[in-house]
Amino acid sequence: MDLLKWFEVRGKSLFYISYSLHRITGLILVLYLVMHLSYLTSLRFGEEIYESFIATTVTPTFLIFDILLVLVGVYHGVNGLRLILHEFGLAYDVRRPILYLSYFLVLVLWLYASYKLYVFIVGV
Amino acid sequence: MLKVVGMENKDKSNMGRDVIFRIKRFDGEKSYWSDFVVPAQKGMTVLEGLYYIKGTYDGSLSFRASCRMGICGSCAMKINDKPRLACETQILQLNSSKIKIEPLDNFRVLKDLITDFEGFFAKHEAVKPYLIRKDDNYAEPVELIQKPEELHAYYDFTLCIKCGACFSVCPAAATRDDYLGPAAMAAAYRFNIDTRDEGRDERMFMVCSDVGVWRCHFAAECSEVCPKNIEPAKAIQKLRFQAAVHMIKKALKRW
Amino acid sequence: MAEELHTRKVLEPLGWIFQLLTGLLLAILITFHFFETHLIAHDALAFENVITRLTDPAHKVMYGLLLASVSFHAFNGLRAILLDTEFGARNTKAINILIVLVILGAFIYGLGLLFTF
Repeated sequence: MDLLKWFEVRGKSLFYISYSLHRITGLILVLYLVMHLSYLTSLRFGEEIYESFIATTVTPTFLIFDILLVLVGVYHGVNGLRLILHEFGLAYDVRRPILYLSYFLVLVLWLYASYKLYVFIVGV
Repeated sequence: MLKVVGMENKDKSNMGRDVIFRIKRFDGEKSYWSDFVVPAQKGMTVLEGLYYIKGTYDGSLSFRASCRMGICGSCAMKINDKPRLACETQILQLNSSKIKIEPLDNFRVLKDLITDFEGFFAKHEAVKPYLIRKDDNYAEPVELIQKPEELHAYYDFTLCIKCGACFSVCPAAATRDDYLGPAAMAAAYRFNIDTRDEGRDERMFMVCSDVGVWRCHFAAECSEVCPKNIEPAKAIQKLRFQAAVHMIKKALKRW
Repeated sequence: MAEELHTRKVLEPLGWIFQLLTGLLLAILITFHFFETHLIAHDALAFENVITRLTDPAHKVMYGLLLASVSFHAFNGLRAILLDTEFGARNTKAINILIVLVILGAFIYGLGLLFTF
């Protein structure tokens, strides 16, 4: 399958790996968007049904998915900002430091958001 | 005792060692791997290793090569998973006892390490990589004047040797056969920003199309593997900006 | 070769520029959305709080903007991925039309929710 070449990262640099990850995270986020919008229809059916949806999804069991989703979102966002910068033709000559910085930012933002989510749902 | 010049400084590790060349072969029907032992010396290139194999073990091993000094762009191949020029890659500097050699990706393999470059060159031709002037007069040629800084703006992009390394790692080229690719678009950008050129509109016709700049998503691997460091990724980003401005301006004019 | 290589579209550059601009906007809006629903108040997802937000005019504008940019960004991104393939090269027109319909569909569906409350 030719499409798998998008994710063939053997011998490639971190730039290419970022491209592959951007594509995968983008597809995951499209799926999530569809789910998220569908979920909101439960608001139409009144308080009871909506609250029962919330009771099943905002739980410690779902926390792991939430945290992974945050990672996907944060990665796509931060890496996307890097791409926007370069696609406007800016800061090309410092693209390597910016690349490393973006991964550092992803890690920091993800850990912070995950910690906050954990507190929010499990409630320490 | 006989004294050999230079022998006293000779480091044992530089004396050379046997290296296994693992080469991906293709005979027109099936592909298979062949292993050969090459006695590598300090300074010996992968291309010299291939010539050694061809001369010593297997005369049917096929590869392209010409200048042996990194200027003709014939011998680009995948060496240890990265596209490099065989003539500019030294065996011992790869630091491995086994060297994996494959033909370039994204090209059709003809035989062993030889790939089909016809489409690649046709794409190059399609972007009109030459000066286009409205006042061409071959009977009475005039000198075209240019300032040094105007030369430096595009000079780096003139160094392309069309080896195909950038095209072989491009993810857009992997899934679209008709995609122009980094080398052709870097050439288009090189002539677009040349102050002597007047053919931007003609060139933009190809560049703005479905197979041009819109397929690039800045994986930037082309810049990473370019043996001449000409940074095609940079050229494409700037070219896309040019293309967007060009197309929107044209659309507004039509209104 | 040159003859079969070209198909000109004025919407391509606009699609590219809006992909970048909505990307910037989304980075801000989604961060805000996430903060509001998960990090500030513990009962932000309770039914009456959601309804309160949906009826607030400032929130309506924010959600409308978020909805418009996210529908465009997500499905225009999907379009770019599809057009990167040989399948996309053969069906460019169909994909473009389908994607426009999907974007409009998602936007209208969301607006419907937004105006019910």
